[in-house]
Amino acid sequence: MRALVIAVVLTAALGASGAAAAGPTDTPGFTKAFSCSACHGRAGASRADAVPVLAGMPAWYFKKAIADYAAGRRPSPEMEPFSKMVGTLSVDEIAAYFAAQPRESSPVGVDRAAVAGGRAASTQCATCHGEDGRGDQAKGSPPLAGQPPGYLLNQMKLFKAEKRSPGDENLTKMKTLMRSIDDTTLAALAAYYSSLGR
Amino acid sequence: MARMTRREFLRTSAGAAVASSFAGCASRGDAPAVASTPSDLAPNRKGRRVIVIGGGWGGATAAKYVRMQDPSIEVILIEPNKRFVSCPFSNLVLSGVRSIDSLTFDYDRLRKQHGVKIMHDTSTALEPDARRVRLAGGFLAYDRVIVAPGIDFQTEQIEGLADAGDRVLHAWKAGPQTVALARQLKEMPDGGVFVMSIPPAAYRCPPGPYERACQVAWYLKTRNPRAKLLVLDANQNVISKPALFRAAWQAYPNLEYRASSKVTKVDPGAREVTTEFGDKVRYDVVNVIPPQRAGAIAVQADLVGADKRWCEVNHVTYESVKAKDAHVVGDATIGIPAPKSGTVANSMGKIAATAVVHLLNGRPVPEMPPINTCYSWVSDSEAMAVVNAYRIENGKVVQIEQKLTPGQSTLYAQHATAWATSIWSDILA
Repeated sequence: MRALVIAVVLTAALGASGAAAAGPTDTPGFTKAFSCSACHGRAGASRADAVPVLAGMPAWYFKKAIADYAAGRRPSPEMEPFSKMVGTLSVDEIAAYFAAQPRESSPVGVDRAAVAGGRAASTQCATCHGEDGRGDQAKGSPPLAGQPPGYLLNQMKLFKAEKRSPGDENLTKMKTLMRSIDDTTLAALAAYYSSLGR
Repeated sequence: MARMTRREFLRTSAGAAVASSFAGCASRGDAPAVASTPSDLAPNRKGRRVIVIGGGWGGATAAKYVRMQDPSIEVILIEPNKRFVSCPFSNLVLSGVRSIDSLTFDYDRLRKQHGVKIMHDTSTALEPDARRVRLAGGFLAYDRVIVAPGIDFQTEQIEGLADAGDRVLHAWKAGPQTVALARQLKEMPDGGVFVMSIPPAAYRCPPGPYERACQVAWYLKTRNPRAKLLVLDANQNVISKPALFRAAWQAYPNLEYRASSKVTKVDPGAREVTTEFGDKVRYDVVNVIPPQRAGAIAVQADLVGADKRWCEVNHVTYESVKAKDAHVVGDATIGIPAPKSGTVANSMGKIAATAVVHLLNGRPVPEMPPINTCYSWVSDSEAMAVVNAYRIENGKVVQIEQKLTPGQSTLYAQHATAWATSIWSDILA
């Protein structure tokens, strides 16, 4: 008989970062950014597997992502409306707020066995994203270190399926690379980059 | 009396209040048993005090965000339930995909991490002119109150419902009724008929009933394949994500949907419901989601409008248009073009908390619009969503855009789980 109870492992544990981790609350950025915590965690410290960490994200990349979502270049039914809202509130203030938060790595567990395989497969990624996965603004490559493994894997699969930034020729190299890698190795890469900087 | 800190005093007084509410045996819904000479449960107040009535999605968030933004403000949260049970995701308990325990949390972090004082008690009356809240054992004075009472049921609108007791479940406030309805579904006879009724809008969680239909239909398809689900909707059409739900229902030939079929009578003896057009439908298991209005305290304090159902508020401060220094958030509100959803309540809680902190400090209130996301599970593994973004224009909330997911997928199910993980923490941790 098929067990019906699946995905019940969530142990009703909320787990919070420290009480003082919210950052200064008397800056305009706090109020303008607090809507984001419904999905992205307190002060951008996402605890979820499928949602990226915004805490410590460089402002240039935050603003690029918001601009791409809002214009529909990076299709997302969830982020497109919210990016337009960020635009009405001040993308500069919100980007500065998240950039100023201490960089927090995802608390989502990674498959330690996969990390080694991911490291071995990461040579080509490092060309643009850096040996330490910290990204390179000059190349338009975002930091990957410490992002949740589920989010990283989903993004690689979306690139592979031409569903992330479809038609964007600046990303042709990225998409070609993703298409050349099997899904198991993509999962290993996600585990590796998520483990960096923890 | 030995010297006590204010905190110790409050704790002791709160205990006394709870004890006296049991002693008086004041059942909810009865006329409040008000003491003839009410005593101040927390006298000798020096600083500013905010009382939050209701520890659900809006109220618990508001309590936390007041303390986060100004720890010099005392916050007392009044909530009868010892534990928080999430309504979002509770339809998955019916299908057995999740346990109720996985949706149940305590209030410890609000207390320990944020210094919110929590009284597990029921507010029997709100007196805005006197700026105090009555409890069975006395009263608490406040500088500002945030009223987050959620919804109550208009049981009287359906004949036979009030007398049906636990024989007819709503399961529309997650908790024991959710577990009981799951059990009834599981124990339904082979080839039986499950009837659910949807009330006229406005009600808590517009897509919720249609998500529930998916979960019940999925369960029956998997475990009781000859059984049938009949959905009787008082509305003229599916009122949320209609095209997406109708597409999802293609997978469930065991689901029959009837629009404009308002249930007006239930007879648990005959196991039969009657619609306003006189159609009678026999059931093996019934789930009646009754018509709704704002929680009782909002009606008692006359914060509701002419319809006696919902509370109109200022779109920037969430202060009631009918009572000074009383703010209302969550499902109890009306007039803001945002649905009665958990995300909106959480959002309103943050914004109202910010307004209260600024007003108590004599500073101008920042204008912040709410946000909305509603994920709906259409099977054990796939979900879809509606998203709304807003802005403030001339002091009013207006929508920037509404967007739907193009369909259902496991990716959106991952996003749904991520949303739940994050927002539960945002409310309580």
